[in-house]
Amino acid sequence: MPGMNSGLSPGDPVLIAAFRSALLHQGVIALVMIVLLGLAGATLRVWPTRTADADGAAAAGAGNPEPRGRRLLRTGFGVLWIFDGLLQAQPKMAGGLATQVIGPAAASSPAWVQHLVNWGGTIWSYHPVEAAAASVWIQVGIGAWLIAAGGGAWSRLAGAASVAWGLIVWVFGESFGGIFAPGLSWLTGAPGGVLCYVAAGALIALPPDAWRSHRSGRWLLAGFGVFFAGMAVLQAWPGRGSWQGTVLANTGHGKPGPLAGMVREMAATPQPHVLSALLSGFASFVARHGFAVNLVVVLALAGLGALFLTGRPRLVRYGVAAGIVCCLATWVLVQDLGFLGGLGTDPNSMIPLILLFSAGYLALIPVSQEAPEAVTTGWRAQLRPGTLGRTVASARRRWVTAAGALAVIVLGAAPMAAAAADRTADPILALAIAGDSSRLDLPAPGFSLTDQTGRTVSLDSLRGKVVLMTFLDPVCTTDCPIIAQELKQAGRMLGAQAARVELVAVVANPTYRSVAFTRAFDRQEGLASVPNWLYLTGSLGQLRPVWRHYGVEVENLPAGAMAAHNDLAVVIDAAGNIRREVGADPGPGTDGTQSSFAVLLSQYARDALGPA
Amino acid sequence: MRGAVRAALALAGVTLVAACGTRPDAASAPGPAPAAVPAAVPLSTSLVTGQGAWAVAVMGSGTGGAGGFWQLFARPAGAGRWSLVTPPGVADNGGLVAAGGGSSLVVGVRPSQNLVFSPLATSTDAGRSWTPGLLDAGLADAPGAIALSPSGRLLAVLRDGTIEAAPTAGAAAAGRWTVLTTFGALAASAQGRSCGLEGVTAVSFGPNESPIAAGGCARPGAAGVFTDAGGTWRSAGLRLPGPAGRSRVRVLGLAADAGGNVALLAAGGSVLAAWRDGARWTVSAPVAGSVRALGFGGGGSSWLLLGDGRAESTGGPGRPWEALPPVPAGTQVLAPGAGGGYEALAVDRASLTVWRLDRGAWVPVQQLTVPIQSGSSG
Repeated sequence: MPGMNSGLSPGDPVLIAAFRSALLHQGVIALVMIVLLGLAGATLRVWPTRTADADGAAAAGAGNPEPRGRRLLRTGFGVLWIFDGLLQAQPKMAGGLATQVIGPAAASSPAWVQHLVNWGGTIWSYHPVEAAAASVWIQVGIGAWLIAAGGGAWSRLAGAASVAWGLIVWVFGESFGGIFAPGLSWLTGAPGGVLCYVAAGALIALPPDAWRSHRSGRWLLAGFGVFFAGMAVLQAWPGRGSWQGTVLANTGHGKPGPLAGMVREMAATPQPHVLSALLSGFASFVARHGFAVNLVVVLALAGLGALFLTGRPRLVRYGVAAGIVCCLATWVLVQDLGFLGGLGTDPNSMIPLILLFSAGYLALIPVSQEAPEAVTTGWRAQLRPGTLGRTVASARRRWVTAAGALAVIVLGAAPMAAAAADRTADPILALAIAGDSSRLDLPAPGFSLTDQTGRTVSLDSLRGKVVLMTFLDPVCTTDCPIIAQELKQAGRMLGAQAARVELVAVVANPTYRSVAFTRAFDRQEGLASVPNWLYLTGSLGQLRPVWRHYGVEVENLPAGAMAAHNDLAVVIDAAGNIRREVGADPGPGTDGTQSSFAVLLSQYARDALGPA
Repeated sequence: MRGAVRAALALAGVTLVAACGTRPDAASAPGPAPAAVPAAVPLSTSLVTGQGAWAVAVMGSGTGGAGGFWQLFARPAGAGRWSLVTPPGVADNGGLVAAGGGSSLVVGVRPSQNLVFSPLATSTDAGRSWTPGLLDAGLADAPGAIALSPSGRLLAVLRDGTIEAAPTAGAAAAGRWTVLTTFGALAASAQGRSCGLEGVTAVSFGPNESPIAAGGCARPGAAGVFTDAGGTWRSAGLRLPGPAGRSRVRVLGLAADAGGNVALLAAGGSVLAAWRDGARWTVSAPVAGSVRALGFGGGGSSWLLLGDGRAESTGGPGRPWEALPPVPAGTQVLAPGAGGGYEALAVDRASLTVWRLDRGAWVPVQQLTVPIQSGSSG
């Protein structure tokens, strides 16, 4: 998927340093905001009457207790979101999420899913630092909001935020949890761990009345019953490889079946020895007893489905206990805790599932301690000073904490939204490839060569304009066409200022260097109609001194290889001085790096232009 | 009632989920049989000009892509050893197409990766020096995609089947080519419709340097060889006898010879040679097999490397196919030997071994190590 691949290594030190720096800066801002909000909260605390304070606290504590199931979801998924946010802060996340997590997840999905995911992945690959930092703050913010918000409208809003971000992660990060890909299985996390976050957010966002009724718990558990039954059927479906511990490879030898193979691969990822040994042992066991293992899984899922579907608290209690055991076993033995090995972004589906069906059970059983909600009827009564004061007091703490959490979310979301709106890539990608270039102020060596129309062009004749100059082989099959596109894009980015900039390339091939080739190259790259584009060439006697003076080494290599030359670009100001020398090796040459180089070059050209 | 609805919904959900995750068994799904169109012929080949013998072979870590580097070897007239003469200055991972005419050899470089046109190189001194040229379009992937006449006129088949012509070597050097015909125009002509032209695979020159184009025909028995008579394309009159006349025919290679032309054709799982003396065609008996490489020698001779390691050669018009001993491992190309007979050029990554057929057995006579620049085009 071309869009989502920046082509850079996840361990690129420039990307990692930029990501750390962004997190540090945004962390300081978050701290300042939290301190300010804390001060605002402390100020508000002394505003209402003393009576209202005391009464309000009592009212908040006793009059409107939060149902236990909802509280479990809110705090449980709050902790999970914060944990996921911290996982997002792994150093390699900026450069690696798109290629190591999103791409592989989408690889086996249908083309339309890949297309959609690629579209989202492009935003990440164009702005990896902003996107990675945003994910950290958004997830930490939602988690903190869920934990701190308690009950009431603010906590329902936190649930809605969880739904919104969860859907984004489920679609773009998990490729719809793989539900459109073959090989769907409850064991491997179907229908996506983050879909549980979405479900939990939706339940938290329900009106309070929905949680007062046992019906919500019954429906939730019935939904789980259907889910587990469906997963049992899927697991038992013939022809999907679930029943086979080993399958016959093309070589004629046996190889691990789908489950054993996946567990074996997970065991090979870096993690504590105890876990990898446990996984290896389980993979071998599955390979030997594939049929029996699948039979146990199918029976367990079917049993859980049946127990949940009864809706009887006593049977459901057994179901919950068995479900917790099954989920934890799967979490450890199959899912490898979800986040170990590689770039883990969440603990996968089992813990969220446990939280969800446990909350359903808590909502199902009657609890005598839960007092009915105190209802103050009539608008006149609600506007009485005492009632109003209580309402304000109970809402104040939630208000402040929710505002703080929202501020943290906005802290991440705002730069990401701005980056997503920008269709050009972050120059950090180009800097990671080429390294930073220091400012120079050297006289540019002169030249007199022939352009693609046959006119003689010298450096002196370009005086008064900024020159973005590079060296290109017209029959190059790899880098040169990419560099030409970078210059062309840089010219477009300059807008009206492009009239004061010349995009100049000098031929870098000792053999294929005639005007016929510069014209053919221009046609190939769509440069023939670019008004400020010059592709210069000449005799070897003319070209060699230019190559030498600008530090470009050009030579023919034997045996069918391209002519070799180093890739560089120079920025020459209107007075004829070199202001920048940039390594122009385009690296992987993806859309993202190409756009990034164009941004960098246009920035350098603007610097050389100076104030208009 | 409500319970029944819930059960029905659950069943529907279960079935949907199951269906979503079920992969159809590809092995059991019946599909249409592949069309009986002969496969394209690799670019590995050899030819003979007044300068000597030439051979094109791919070396490196793969048979194509960025890891495969195509090489041109020459054995100058009167010499007994081969040398590496690949034109410098351009990456040739897309393939080389060579054609001889008079005392010149022209090599077209097929575009690869980000390059879309075809640089050319012409030599008149057995590959010691090269003059660059330009075809401002991509050359077709066929060993007969370029032709050079003794007077220096050039023909080229492009990837879309268009045939372009350059009147002189100088015009080709400057990239001045004109369109002779397009595949669409040729297929729509009376002769093209008559054969059901499917593609153009080769060009050459006939008597008086009149252009010849050849390709594959959908109509059984029709051989798609056409001559250009003042802007009108006419059938060259080639008819295949016997069972081949009831099969679909594809021209695999086409060359000009002093007395006329020679064509190698695939028809119904066999290969035939056809010679034209200017007016009349002579067709060889068929030789069964799929072609791995082919080439032409002097006097209408030609050779075939077949898929099962067999090799066959014919000495010229009317001469039968003769089986050669099984070729050495790695053989990509055969070439007429310096003292008669044949030589086999076998490739192992960067190493080329020349084997000579001596008293019925292949004997190694030369080894060349080619300085492959691995990674230079990737």
